[in-house]
Parts: sequence; structure tokens; C-alpha cells
Amino acid sequence: MQQLKQYWVAEALERDLGDPCNPDNMMSWKQVVDLDEREAFPHEIIEWLYNWKLSHYYVPEWVGGEFTSFEEFVSIVRVLCRRDQTAGIAFTTMFWSFLCWMAGTEEQKQKLASFIKDQNGTMCLAYSERAHGSDLIAGDVTATKVPGGYLLNGEKWPINRATISGVTFVIAKTDASAGSRGLSLFMVEKARLDAATYYNLPKTLTHGIRGSDISGIGFKDCFVPDDMLLGKEGAGLELALKGFQVTRPLCAAFSHGAADTALRTTLKFAMGRELYGKTVFDIPQPKRTLVDAFLDLLICDCETIGVARGFHVVPEQFSVWGAVVKYFSTVTLEKMIQDVSVVLGSRFYMREEHDFGIFQKQMRDNAIISMFDGSSIVNLHALILQMRSLAKHRAKRNDKMMEALQSRLEVNFSLDKPVPRYAPEKMDLFSRGADDSLQGLEIAIAQLHDLKDNSDVNPEVLDQIITFASSALEELNAQDEYLATSAFEFGHDQSPELFDLAKKYCALHAIATCLHMWIYNRKNLGEFFAKGEWLVLSLARLLRSFRPWQNLTISPVYVENVAQELVKLYNEDKMFSIVPFQLAKTETQKDQTNAASELQLQA
Amino acid sequence: MQLQNSSSKPSDMVTSPVEAIQTWLVDKIAQNLSLDPKSINVSEPLTRYGLDSIDAVTLVGDLEDWLSAELPDTLFWDHSTIEKAAEYLVNECDISALNVGSSAEKVEANASTKTEEPAKKGWGGFFKGGR
Repeated sequence: MQQLKQYWVAEALERDLGDPCNPDNMMSWKQVVDLDEREAFPHEIIEWLYNWKLSHYYVPEWVGGEFTSFEEFVSIVRVLCRRDQTAGIAFTTMFWSFLCWMAGTEEQKQKLASFIKDQNGTMCLAYSERAHGSDLIAGDVTATKVPGGYLLNGEKWPINRATISGVTFVIAKTDASAGSRGLSLFMVEKARLDAATYYNLPKTLTHGIRGSDISGIGFKDCFVPDDMLLGKEGAGLELALKGFQVTRPLCAAFSHGAADTALRTTLKFAMGRELYGKTVFDIPQPKRTLVDAFLDLLICDCETIGVARGFHVVPEQFSVWGAVVKYFSTVTLEKMIQDVSVVLGSRFYMREEHDFGIFQKQMRDNAIISMFDGSSIVNLHALILQMRSLAKHRAKRNDKMMEALQSRLEVNFSLDKPVPRYAPEKMDLFSRGADDSLQGLEIAIAQLHDLKDNSDVNPEVLDQIITFASSALEELNAQDEYLATSAFEFGHDQSPELFDLAKKYCALHAIATCLHMWIYNRKNLGEFFAKGEWLVLSLARLLRSFRPWQNLTISPVYVENVAQELVKLYNEDKMFSIVPFQLAKTETQKDQTNAASELQLQA
Repeated sequence: MQLQNSSSKPSDMVTSPVEAIQTWLVDKIAQNLSLDPKSINVSEPLTRYGLDSIDAVTLVGDLEDWLSAELPDTLFWDHSTIEKAAEYLVNECDISALNVGSSAEKVEANASTKTEEPAKKGWGGFFKGGR
């Protein structure tokens, strides 16, 4: 069992779901591929998850649920999505409840909590409209004030779980002349509506997550009582943007699940397949591809686990961190899955054969994640608008600010330390230039220098980490200087060069985050993590994209050691993660497994 | 109130905090939306000039920088014209940076000193000192 208790629920869920290779198990590859072939909604899986009471982990403890930590939440979603993103996403539309935990009255919160826990209820988010995409202000759905409530009119599409859900969060125009204050958010309980005044649109056929209920909902003079308004009238856009700050970074957890399976099933193939007298895994090029994929997972893990804890420590910085992770982790892992597909060869394309064809399903399903809740372009654009203020804020740092920042970093990144209770009311539309992780890069470098006196760190590894960290700092300084002197314009016509700059900001951010994660957890995450060879390789991998001239030659010994760790985690059925928690045991070794778990229980 | 008329007003009017803020906002918005400052009417909603919701939040950040004050992030959503926003700032917010300076020029001078401060120098000392 993982020593960090925030991973115990994920481990318990794994144990109870069992080996996904066994067709008899819930959420097995076979079951989820069959459902996908039939484009069928995973009702049976969802019901199983409710009966397991997983839904309680979507309801905060302070409203009677079990949710305490986003780090735990991310680990749970990874477990679901490594088996099936379709069901994982369908179940996790429940995270829109955070809109209510954020802005609801006590009565609304209790009602929603009971709806989730006692009635196996779920919700969907109805923002998008056919003609307007991400442009919420331009929306045509209206809510007209009438005595005792509002009349909704118009259509929302495409909406995940628009049909199979009891509560719909609808954003609608309450005042056409009030601009950004013209939208309001409603927590619409369908059971309380006149059924003749709303309708659902048919399922839209999709490339991946084919069993999903991607549909829509329309309203015709549909009366919703005042008590369904969430927050104040006119607060709709503000709540919508803050809600996205919650769900966008959490989307990374979907990608981590799919990426784990893509790598696991490919590794299984590579280790079992013999070509030219050796296994595919023992041929240098495929091996390097798989090692790089593992590194991508570890890098994204530092961001995704870091941001999950960050919710509790720096919620006011999520206009930056949320956008970084939503872009960086989902896009990196999407590319990682493409990268490993070549090792699987033609089987990556087959809807059967190797592991029931789970690879192609995960690849198709996962392709939508970087688009969910704001596309890569939307997130990079949000960063572009904030980059000047980030640079200015960075220039203004003083000793006092840095001391405070360092103590926040320590809580944020030390996985063995408890995090404060999440305070949704502290989320802000912009971070006022603050971004602890990247603005703490110099702190990390100072800490690395201090480690030179520490005998348990290999000096060669440490030297390389310091060199690469210093390169990142040089790049960051140069970028800030450029931003200080360049012109800036508002609007949506930002140049492609600025988008590249925002991408580079994300890569630099990832470097800083990996450093913090390593520095604060060398005693928490096992020998492989502590040794830091993976970090050297990861930093080189991140720097390569914008410093191709730098000598980034890497030790073949490090590569081999990372490859051995990958195989070890595979053989031990552990998550490909900086926190390699225990997955369900592979059932081909059933007897030993049973014996081992009995021993564990007795011990 | 048309801003371009302000130069013809008595100097005590020109230097009022409300007008200083208006001038700054007109210049900033004109600059960041590539408009002629003269074309901006302080009593028209900002959205009319193509300033969308997120830009309006970004603008609060710039204003905070200039005034060295923490302001509501939805300032321009709630006060949708330059005129209303400036009035709100003067009446409801602690903007001592403006009140300390007795003239608009002084405020401008303070502001430009701040922006000319070279980037990344702020914390160089700490880092080097720590080493």
C-alpha cells in the first residue's frame, strides 16, 4: 500500500474493480470496448460506481460528502480513465457540482449533496450553443424575469450528458444590455420543470467517447423558480470562468488515465514480442520511445499533482496555473499516446486483438480532452493576456515576498504535508501576476545548491539538474525582458508568435514544477524518484524544444535505469506516476496474488 | 464628459483624481486597442470599443499596477464606462497613490518610474545573496 494516504481510495477502487484484462471484471477492456462498438452509454458501470459510493468523493466533506483533497480526486479519476475514459468522463460530469459548492446557498448545497448521494443524481453543464462556441457573451439562450422566477428560451448544444442527467447548469442571458454582467447561472432541476417546456436533442455521433451522451437541451418558455438561480443575477460569466478554473486542470486527470493504459498495453506488447532475435523492448529505438513516454507522464504528473494541491494553497492563482496545466498536461499526453503508437505497430489501429483493442479506443477517446472546457487556444490566449502582468510581478519580487512564496511552495509540493481546506471563494479571475511555481525558480536553484552538501545525492546528477535549471532561468529572464519592451494589444487577434511564447511559458513552468516536486519529496516517493536521474532526463526533454543548441546529451545509464523502473512498475502493477500507487493485480498470477494479499491482511 | 475638452478646463479641474484616471484609461485603452484617443467617449460602454470581458479583467490588472491598489477583478463589468469606473474608484476605493500626488503630472511621473524599472532586477539580490 502507498504510504501517502491520499492515494488509499484510488487503491481501494482498483482492488474492487480488479484486473481490466479479465473480461469478467467491471470496467474490463472487453466490456468497455464492446460498449464503444455499440456506442452505448455505460449505465451498468455508472451504477456500479454509485453503489461503490464513489459519488461521495465529489461532494465536499463540509456539505456531508467525502471530498477533502483534489490530489485524492485526481488519483480516483485516473483509476477510472485508465480503464475507460467514456465512463470516467460520464461519471465525472459530476464535478460541475463545484459551481454549487462555490456559489450556492446552504440550502442549494444540501439539496445537491442529497441529490448526488441519496438519489444517484448527476449534472451537466449547458454553456455551449451551436452558433457561438466559446463566445459565451454572444449566447442566445435567454432567461426573462417573471414573478417568482424566470422563463428560459433557446437551445444548448453540444452538451455532455444533456439527456442523461437530472440537473443542468444553464447559463442564460438575463440582461442583453449588461455585457459581462448580462449572464446568469441556473441550477436547473429537471424534475421540477413542466416537461412540455423543455426537450432534449438527439445524441451526436462522435469519433471517440462514442458511448457518451453528447446531446443538447432546448427550452420553450420554460419556467424555472427563483431558487434555481445560482449566485446573484448577472454573476453567470464570473461563475462560469471560475468554474472552468476548477475543471480545466482536473481534465488532466482524464489524460493521465488514458496515457497510462496506452503505455502499459504497448509495453506489454513490446516485452512479449520477439523480432530479430530479441524483444521489441530490447531494441534501442522502441525502448527510448517508451522511456520518453514514461518521462512525459512523470513531467505531467508534477504539474497535475502540483496543481491539484495548489487548489488548496494558491486558489487565487488559478487563472494562470489552471490554464498552464489544461494546455500542457493534456497536449503533452495526447502527443505521448501518438508517440507510443508506433511501437505497437499496426495493432494500434485494430479494434480487437491486442488487449481487446483498448489502445485505439483510449487514443480516440483521449483526443477530445485538450478541447474540453476550453481548447488549447483558449487556454494559451488566457496566458497571453496575463504574461505581461506575470513578468511585471516577477520583477517586483522582494525578500519578504519570496519568503512567503517559499513557505507556500513547501506546503504545495510536500506530498507528506496536509493541505488546507479548499476555499472556492478565494478563486480570482486573474492572479495579479502571481505564479508561485515559476516565480519560485530561483528558490529551487538555491535549494539545489544547498543539496551539494548532502551526501545522499549523486553530485553528477545534481550538477546536471542545476545546469538545466539555470538554463530555464536564463530563458525566463529573456522572455520577461522581451515582454517588458514589446507592444501589447487586447482582443482575439494575438499573433502566432505570442502563442509560441505562451507554450514556452508552459514548458518553463513544467521545469520549475518538476524541480519543486523533486526537492520537496526526495524522502517521500522512493529510491527511483529520489535518485533524480529521471529529472535530468525530463529537464533535458523539456529544454530541447527551445534550446536545441544546448548540449543536452544524456547518459545511456540513466535511460536504462528509467527503463528498468518502467518495467518494475509494470511487473508490480503500479501506476506510471511519481506516486506509483498499487493498481489491481494482474490475474494471470492469480494464485501468488491471492496469497500475497492474504499475507498483507494478516500483517 | 469629453476628454479632449479637458485641456481647456482650469488646471484644478484637470488635476482631479477622476480626470487623472479617465485620462490614463483613455490612453491605455486607445493604445491597447489601436484606437485614436480622441475617438473614445468616456460615457460610452467600453464594450463598444471592442473591449471584451477578459480584456476588461486584464485592464484591471494594469490599473492596479498604476494605482498600487487592489481592485475588484470585475471592476469594468460592474462599471462599464470610463466615467463610471473613475467615479467608483475615487469614491469607493483606497487609491492613495493618486491622492498623495497633487497633480496629474505627478501621478504620471510615478507611474512611468514604475514601468521603467528594469525587469527581473527586483529579486536578483535575494538570489545572489542566498548563494
